[in-house]
Amino acid sequence: MSKKLFALLSLMVVFTMLLASCSTPTAAPAVPADGNQPAATQSSQKPAEKVTLRVLVHQNPPMVAFMESFNQKFEQKYPNIKVDMSIVNANDLSTVSQTRLSANDIDVLDIFGFANAAQPYMKMVDAPNWQQLIDAGLLMDLTGQDFLKNYDEAAIKDAGSYNGKVYAVNLGRVSYSGIYYNKDLFAANNVKVPTTWPELVAACETFKAANIPCMTAGGKDGWPIFVGAYGLLGSMYPDQAALVEGLWTGKIKWNDEKSLEMWQKMQVYARDMMEEGASGIAGDAAPGRFASGAVAMFPGGTWYAPAIEAAGPSFDWGYIPFPGSDKAEDNQYLFGKYDQGWAIAANTPNRDAALLYLTEFSTPENYQQFVDAVGFIPTQPTAKLNTKIGTEVAPYLANFRVGYEQYWIAPKGAGQFANPWASYFKPFGTDDDPKALADKVQADLQAGLDAVK
Amino acid sequence: MSYHFGRGWSKLVPYLLLLPGLLFYFLISLGPSMATAVYSFTDASGLKGAPIHWVGFDNYREFLFMGRASLDNLAALQRTLIFCAAVTLIQFALGLFVALIVNQRLKGSNIFRTIYFMPVILGVVIQGLMWSLFLFPLGGPMAKVLSWFGLHSEFLGGQPTQAFMWVIAIQIWANMGTTMMIFIAGLQTIPSELYEAARIDGANALQAFRNVTWPLLTPSVNTNLLLNVIGSLQAWQLFLVLVGYRNGTQVLGYLVYATGFGQTSGSVTSSFRQGYAAAASIILFLLVLVLGMTVQYFLQRREARILG
Repeated sequence: MSKKLFALLSLMVVFTMLLASCSTPTAAPAVPADGNQPAATQSSQKPAEKVTLRVLVHQNPPMVAFMESFNQKFEQKYPNIKVDMSIVNANDLSTVSQTRLSANDIDVLDIFGFANAAQPYMKMVDAPNWQQLIDAGLLMDLTGQDFLKNYDEAAIKDAGSYNGKVYAVNLGRVSYSGIYYNKDLFAANNVKVPTTWPELVAACETFKAANIPCMTAGGKDGWPIFVGAYGLLGSMYPDQAALVEGLWTGKIKWNDEKSLEMWQKMQVYARDMMEEGASGIAGDAAPGRFASGAVAMFPGGTWYAPAIEAAGPSFDWGYIPFPGSDKAEDNQYLFGKYDQGWAIAANTPNRDAALLYLTEFSTPENYQQFVDAVGFIPTQPTAKLNTKIGTEVAPYLANFRVGYEQYWIAPKGAGQFANPWASYFKPFGTDDDPKALADKVQADLQAGLDAVK
Repeated sequence: MSYHFGRGWSKLVPYLLLLPGLLFYFLISLGPSMATAVYSFTDASGLKGAPIHWVGFDNYREFLFMGRASLDNLAALQRTLIFCAAVTLIQFALGLFVALIVNQRLKGSNIFRTIYFMPVILGVVIQGLMWSLFLFPLGGPMAKVLSWFGLHSEFLGGQPTQAFMWVIAIQIWANMGTTMMIFIAGLQTIPSELYEAARIDGANALQAFRNVTWPLLTPSVNTNLLLNVIGSLQAWQLFLVLVGYRNGTQVLGYLVYATGFGQTSGSVTSSFRQGYAAAASIILFLLVLVLGMTVQYFLQRREARILG
């Protein structure tokens, strides 16, 4: 009996090994597949046969609306190509990219600007997901493609290159550290546009006294509650790369005097400035809530601007850097990131159609329409800042900086509170003591730093 | 006892008939489960073509012992057990209570059965959407009710403990219909003569329940308890739909999903760590196995004692 059982178990183990080796080849070298050869020598050609081009984008209503109209025009111009576009929530983009690339079920995909690369002072950190995709040979090498010449070199280098090769073309920068404000409400309540933290606090008190919620955010998605407060972090630590290095090397602590001031302000932001119920508003619904005129301010990214304009075409608004510091001169910075870009699956059977799609998208006319629709700060040097949000951020563009979130990688073993998030405070979280929270955050970070020593 | 499939090679017929089902089970369920156990000792990312290295017990060590993250993981484990205990007990008791009521010969009992069972046929996303609207803190029905008393709550987006309790309640609402139906099926197998005899002997309703209904419901009790324990230990989809990956609300199943598939917040870049997620899921599997086997052992003993 025991021999039979042993034989059965052995058979099962062998079968499992077979399954494992079938599903993911072990020790497969990161050698580029056929499709991962530099595409410079392969010009995009109009496909002779009918193909369906599978495109993946993340949910951003103005961008999706633009893409639908672009796809229609593309299909009219190239009748042999049918575009099948899938839309996923931004939080799920990397998951869906992973599974669909592995299943070779996607041709062109939306990918955020390359960020969070491991730095020399970091220990035991995993490669970011975009690097894992490239190392696994899943993204096509776009080096030398003609359409890349339309984009500025810095964007290609900073947001889409790895080991000297180009794997993604980035379509624009966005700021996430500013505040939209309702000009009519400010005028009606005689409130001056705040340039310092005390002015912001006073403005909110005035609005609250008039029974007007001061700020709103799409808190149901989680991150929109604290993303606005990244401006507060930026006003304290304008050099965000140095902040991340300081945290890793122990030169900066989340519970030192300077950081404590930040936590105190974050508590005011979460407790007194954000409207009650903001945690239930979906990210997509927040611009509409602001455009309804019910709320005075809306801390959030520049990508919300088209949605605000669509929700209230006659609604008058402005956009300012988050005034987190007591000194106006420290509040001149906009922090942000490289947002959406395009990449092509290395193993796509529709290589020509995919390259044609990016080539067509990258023409100056189409690209201009895209940035006009989504409000990105362009990465094509010939494109113009035609949009209202473009006009609003133009005075601060010289002070545009890549933000903390694009540099930070938590050390393995760090606790779940090792982040500078305002949403830890009540009513969105459990904390109501800035000092106690600062100590908890630093302890969670320190545990990770100690663990990887 | 005669053997219906004859002698010699014919004896193999039942096994051959079982083979397709067995192969299907092996391919779809058992094989991948065993592969997960193998993966848990590697640094697999889940990406086709990515190299895989054997890392021994590193993933388990990191999950259970590395820094404060391991304490967070253990807190998720503890939360999973609390979720399991609360959902199992309340769903069981409520399901039994409702089954006893709708099993009476009352007018409209079929309508009530349908109403109580209806949430079961809705998908998790629909359930989540319904409750998100019901608990919308900016003027939703529950917020309105609270406002009558001068109160306010962020519900699912506020205090983690409160959000966690709402998910427990919604999980029970979503699955209580199944528990109820199993009990109704059990109740309908109890012969009415036994109740008549109990009534003749002078038993009141409570005594009839204790001495007739409860013992004869044993198979349904066992089935329900086991299904509730296993189901609630593995539940995580409602957490994803209702509260997202938030501090203080994660259960082990969600932790496995989030780490395995690199779930992110907005555009934050994270890594794909299926080897690590596989280790977490093996720990969850062991938990389900130990709890499930223990519950089953005691339930079988009880069944043998009562029904012989």
